[in-house]
Amino acid sequence: MELRKTSVRQAVEAVYNRELTAHKLIEQTLKNCSILNETMNIFTHIAGIDALEQAKAVDRKIENGAQLPLAGVPVAVKDDICYGVLPTSFGSAAFKEFISPYTATAVEKLMDAGAIVVGKTNLDDMSQGSTTLSSPFGPTLNPWLAERAAGSAGAAALATGVCMLSLESDNGGALRQGASDCGVIGLRPTAGRISNYGLNTFTSSFGQVGISAFSSENISCAFEIISGFDERDASTAVCRDRSTEKHAVADIEKIKIGYPVNAFDYLEPGLREVYEKTRDEYAARGFMFEEIDLTLLREALQAYYIISAAEASSNHARFDGIRFGKAGKATDLEELYCKTRGVTLGREARRRSVFGTFLLSKGNYDCYYRQALKVWNMVREEFAAAFGRYDIIVLPAVKSLPRPLDEEKEFIEDWADDLYCAPVSLAGLPSLCLPVGRVGQLPVGMQLIGPPFSDEFLVEICNRVFR
Amino acid sequence: MKYEVVIGLEVHVELLTECKLFCSCPNRFASEPNVNTCPVCLGFPGALPQMSYDALQQALNASVALNCEIALYSYFDRKNYFYPDMPKGYQISQYYRPLGSKGYLVIENDSGGDNKVGIARVHMEEDAGKLVHASSSVSAGSSGTSSSGSSSMVDYNRAGVPLIEIVTEPDLHSSGEARRYLEKLKSVLQYARVSDCKMEEGSLRCDANVSLRPPGGQLFGTKTELKNMNSFRAVEKSLDHEIKRQAAIIDRGDEVVTQTLRWDENKQETIVMRSKLEAHDYRCFADPELAPIELAASEVEKARAALPEMAEARAERLVNDYNLPEYDAKVLTASRCLADYFESCLALYNNPKEVSNWVMGEFSAHLKNAGLEADQCSFQPEDMAELLKMIDEKLISGKLAKEVLEKAFQSGKPPRKVVEEEGLLQISDQSELEEIVDQVISDNPDSIESYRGGKTKALGFLVGQVMKATKGKANPQLVNELLIKKIDG
Repeated sequence: MELRKTSVRQAVEAVYNRELTAHKLIEQTLKNCSILNETMNIFTHIAGIDALEQAKAVDRKIENGAQLPLAGVPVAVKDDICYGVLPTSFGSAAFKEFISPYTATAVEKLMDAGAIVVGKTNLDDMSQGSTTLSSPFGPTLNPWLAERAAGSAGAAALATGVCMLSLESDNGGALRQGASDCGVIGLRPTAGRISNYGLNTFTSSFGQVGISAFSSENISCAFEIISGFDERDASTAVCRDRSTEKHAVADIEKIKIGYPVNAFDYLEPGLREVYEKTRDEYAARGFMFEEIDLTLLREALQAYYIISAAEASSNHARFDGIRFGKAGKATDLEELYCKTRGVTLGREARRRSVFGTFLLSKGNYDCYYRQALKVWNMVREEFAAAFGRYDIIVLPAVKSLPRPLDEEKEFIEDWADDLYCAPVSLAGLPSLCLPVGRVGQLPVGMQLIGPPFSDEFLVEICNRVFR
Repeated sequence: MKYEVVIGLEVHVELLTECKLFCSCPNRFASEPNVNTCPVCLGFPGALPQMSYDALQQALNASVALNCEIALYSYFDRKNYFYPDMPKGYQISQYYRPLGSKGYLVIENDSGGDNKVGIARVHMEEDAGKLVHASSSVSAGSSGTSSSGSSSMVDYNRAGVPLIEIVTEPDLHSSGEARRYLEKLKSVLQYARVSDCKMEEGSLRCDANVSLRPPGGQLFGTKTELKNMNSFRAVEKSLDHEIKRQAAIIDRGDEVVTQTLRWDENKQETIVMRSKLEAHDYRCFADPELAPIELAASEVEKARAALPEMAEARAERLVNDYNLPEYDAKVLTASRCLADYFESCLALYNNPKEVSNWVMGEFSAHLKNAGLEADQCSFQPEDMAELLKMIDEKLISGKLAKEVLEKAFQSGKPPRKVVEEEGLLQISDQSELEEIVDQVISDNPDSIESYRGGKTKALGFLVGQVMKATKGKANPQLVNELLIKKIDG
């Protein structure tokens, strides 16, 4: 079965019709994962006998008449999401063999629906980045151009056909930029619509579990299963309060699309043309694009980095060598902390921890952190005002093409790459990234951004309009 | 004292709840280390806190019991600092917006008047784990090498247990006031059923800030912080010690230095822990993993209305309902569990004054000696009632009952069993006693003479002789009757 050309629904049907067993599907997928991983460096760990046993269990359940909407569907899980069967590294060499004592809610829900985790996917240093270049395990290669980075290893797994769904995390845009870089579809949902229980995020305010797939239909299948209230994650309370609210799509041809023309000035050469061509094509089909101003993108990016670094300094404090982190030989506590943190956190994680500590310190809190909180509010308000007039807003997903593997960039340039994604994280809005064109061989994705709780609406628009 | 003493107290109290503050682990003592733990309270990456509404309710109850204004909107902050007993590297607390503020407790000041002690804030936070220091003379691992020095281990059973911190204004002016404030605080929190407030067990912990200034001064003197006081008495003593120490410094013309001192119970003195108040920068910020706490005004009113009867009201009720002297009522209601004990006894043995005498007297003395609260000892209200009934049934004398109580208290055996085992049953068998009475009469002809000569005191001596011969088990009234009958007859 060619996973890229098969929908989740078809695969599940095939398993139910006994055209193939879950066991057979997973066995073949695991083989492909191993072969591919040697060159692509997609997985930090590939599942083994456990996944095969799970697949057999799924086959047995089907024989017993169980209804499993994701029966046998191979899923990749980013390595900052806890899964009690395989190691979860969080993007730290010190955690290479760490087995979490529990499994994240989203993974549990996928498994309960019959999905099988085939591997844990590579990620940046403590998830801090959107390239995989800072991974302690080396970068993941881009499936379309091997000398470039994949952005997201889960997206690379989808693009190379070794899974059908990829469970990912998105802080400042890793999921969306990865989807763009690899030419797949990625959904960062409305904040709180998917439980983050079990996601090790460096920024609790913006870290969000999301889903990527090869088609919007597959996204929809997975989202239906993993979204919803989870008593273990306070942020999902929004689902309980607003679960019935749905964005109606009356006449999809008449949706109003906001197009923030000022935003496109920052794009690197070649990308602007892709986005403008996309706009022109759809405008020619009668879709209503209106130019709007999003005035706070740059400030939002700054606020994102201030707040997320502050949170990182706190979230990473537990890696102190007492319970978590590789303890170096030390004679006192101070030395233990220094040695442990020097090894457990990579260069990027150390940078953000130090930066965040600085930002929260006396005096700096008011100058930076408090100001950033104000910007955070203003960004939310600006988006909210825009959604009074438009059904969706489109934004680029990336500022530049996937990075060459050997290119050394100033960290601040890396941070600047989150210009179009981080503001959306800040506003807690759903964003669906879909491929809209190419520059050379490399795919380029665009974000469809909607008001809170328009997740299904975005998937439907993607499905019906931007096929 | 030529200086005005200024004291402020910071008290941490463990809340009585089923579960920890942010997970469903039991909030209970465990004899094994690290058994009441889960990914959340052990700080595993990705595990998220969920606030316990039970703990919130308790913190709210405490805040209203302490006459606080309640913040309808509050939230949790992270207090960031590295210490091994903190699994996450930060403590979840309320820094910017405490649940309660501007409260007060009225205590008696040193001249017998009222001192309304302001309570600046009441906030919720999670407890840390416990460090266990052990010297490691054990050989380390398979290598067989023996490591010198000491090692520390961490027990996270307590990590995440819900606490409230209660911070007073600098309104206390003597060590006695500090102790009375603590007693009052304990009483209020016990009566509100918020905490058992057992300082010896660590469910109430107190730090004190103290400074001196000229009488009527406006500015505060340099303060020092006192820690590690394990009883109210230790708080009082360490404050006295520190006040004297500071006064001596000022008398010499020197300046008090800002520092943190530790009370050494063995040496009965304060010892410098940190030569300067360490300039901790906790880098507090709102915890992004927890939703803000929003309360409706009606919920606060409900908590106020539902506050249980406090000590004063209960004492009044004891006087009115049971016709107890005011003194008894005050002593019995000083702690809620003693008052509960008293009323439980009454339900089984309805003689208020008699029960009061025993509970206030013998029973309380044994509690004090054992360092226990009424609900911690094995001598239950059922036992007290049984003891008093045995006196009524003339099975034991009142005097002997005291001995029975002591033995029952210490052994944990029911009083009736103690009486049986020790052979303490009162001798009320006339024939058995007659023999002894006859013996005493023949042994003491002089006393008989004196008695017959009108010295009635001599009878008391003879009764005493009989009691002595029976090791106190004889029924004194019967002995009396028998003697008179025999001598006069």
